[in-house]
Amino acid sequence: MCQKNVKRVPLDPRGCWETREGWAVAIAFCLPDNGPMTKGESCVSSHVSPLPADWAGYGLAVMVVSLCTAVSWAIHSHLELSNIIMVYLLGVVGVSAWTSRGPSLLASVLSVLAFDFFFVPPYLSFTVLDSQYLITFAVMLVVALVISTLADRIRRQAEAARAAQVSAETERLRNALLSSVSHDLRTPLASITGSASSLLESGEHLDAVTRRELLQAIHEEADRLNRLVQDLLEMTRLESGAVIVRREWHPIEELVGAALGRLGKRLGARPVLTRIPADLPLVPLDGVLIEQLLINLIDNALKYTPETSPIEIAAFGDDDGVMVEVADRGPGLPPGDERRVFDKLYRGQAKAGRGSGLGLAICRGIVEAHGGRIWAENRSEGGVAFRFTLPVKETPPSIPPGDD
Amino acid sequence: MTDNEEALVLLIEDEAQIRRFLRAALGAHGYRLVESTTGEDGLVQAATRLPDLVIVDLGLPDLDGVDVIRKLREWASVPIIVLSARGQERDKITALDAGADDYVSKPFGVGELLARMRVALRHASSAKEPDQPTFTVGDLKVDLAHRKVFTGDKEVHLTPIEFKLLTTLVRYAGKVLTHRQLLKEVWGPPYADQAHYLRVYMAQLRRKLEADPARPRYFLTEPGVGYRLASE
Repeated sequence: MCQKNVKRVPLDPRGCWETREGWAVAIAFCLPDNGPMTKGESCVSSHVSPLPADWAGYGLAVMVVSLCTAVSWAIHSHLELSNIIMVYLLGVVGVSAWTSRGPSLLASVLSVLAFDFFFVPPYLSFTVLDSQYLITFAVMLVVALVISTLADRIRRQAEAARAAQVSAETERLRNALLSSVSHDLRTPLASITGSASSLLESGEHLDAVTRRELLQAIHEEADRLNRLVQDLLEMTRLESGAVIVRREWHPIEELVGAALGRLGKRLGARPVLTRIPADLPLVPLDGVLIEQLLINLIDNALKYTPETSPIEIAAFGDDDGVMVEVADRGPGLPPGDERRVFDKLYRGQAKAGRGSGLGLAICRGIVEAHGGRIWAENRSEGGVAFRFTLPVKETPPSIPPGDD
Repeated sequence: MTDNEEALVLLIEDEAQIRRFLRAALGAHGYRLVESTTGEDGLVQAATRLPDLVIVDLGLPDLDGVDVIRKLREWASVPIIVLSARGQERDKITALDAGADDYVSKPFGVGELLARMRVALRHASSAKEPDQPTFTVGDLKVDLAHRKVFTGDKEVHLTPIEFKLLTTLVRYAGKVLTHRQLLKEVWGPPYADQAHYLRVYMAQLRRKLEADPARPRYFLTEPGVGYRLASE
């Protein structure tokens, strides 16, 4: 849709923030070009009805007039000249409806010329014997021009209406995101500021346990802030098309291991069961992105299930590629949420703290960038399974022969 | 923190807040610190103060951090640790291939940086000594002299390439190695781009030597960058 429209945003110190790479995180994705922070081309152009390109439009005009001429020629012995004019006008209406103004004008002029050449005596000549036909030509031309002008105006109005609708939708999304993001940013910032100022201003009156608690809070909240900023960056990068998928042949097992390793302490004492067949083929994928995807899926399961509830990770291979599953034994998804969970800002009832509401949307972005599919299903035994596929179209590379 | 105490660390970092917390943290662990805010000045300081370890930020205002590493490597073998942002995997690889010893991604905890520094200093000092005949971490024991590998008491048979990969990792235990560095060492320079060889053999090592190959304890993956053999 309007994904292409998010640009590297001009840096407005009040409106957004910047990383080292000169990236600004557009607080909203999909900002329309009249938004305060983007400088992209119009979001709207991609929503306009499929108009033929210029030359195709002119070609169509010529074709339609030729067709009208052929039809009229075939039946002109049964028709009054005035009805032949109607056939041409019908052609002009058609061209106007499907193309832009230029081709419609061409169709109008060609219609008058063809009418004169083929149907006004003397035939097969532009000469006109009866001067009253000049009036006929003039009227025919005026009518054709009015038709094409009106058709053009109607089309523009329809486009504007569609654009307004898209822009209202974008605006709504941006507002929702802004308020959500500012809340999510402020909460950890508030506890960091509060804890740090307590330590600075009255540290000497606090006992060691309290001081440690405050320090712990600063550390944890900074970590949360970091994850939120990472999510926002990743989402912005995915939506703006700035993500380059660097495919290399990977074993799925290695990425699962890396994701579990990176989650580290957050896993706690949680039982994690992995079922990955040793003969699963290598898959062409971007290791950094797929590791992130697995981290987000596992993290999601951690957030929505009790602390001792197991997490199961499995992978299956078939002729088209592999399917990976991250499943839990939690409460499952409310009916109808199987699709909505992948929407930006959608949040379930997390037991501990709020996420960014972007984790699963990022997952969907990553899987789609790989040409795969992601979905969620409640399991019949309880809990929910998130599954994604990664296609394997090429033959896996050869491995050096066994060396034992 | 025994033999590392009193080590002189050169910190090349333009951001005052990062320098401030590192000054406090490294000082508390007995390191002496020299600070530099630009790449040019850092190179001068490296030549005049001869530090035991250099920490360099990849995003410096004047020189690219990678250029600083290249210039340093023209004459110095001092261990170099890079500070970079997450998501800059390409930059990390470039820095490591240019001669940096390791990296930490911002934001990082000081414990992580200290661990990397310990490993880098240990490798720098052991380079002057003969190789240790055995390497042990957790249940994994590698007897380099007799070419034998054990998990617990059980001997594990490895193929020649698996063993070569393992000994390369052991030689740099605790330090990150890029795919390219490992491929060149184990298979030779013509194979430097065949990362899938490495991934397949790494999977085989994990299956033979890890209790759960999907949750490795020793053979750690640094996605997009390379591998690290745990040393603690």
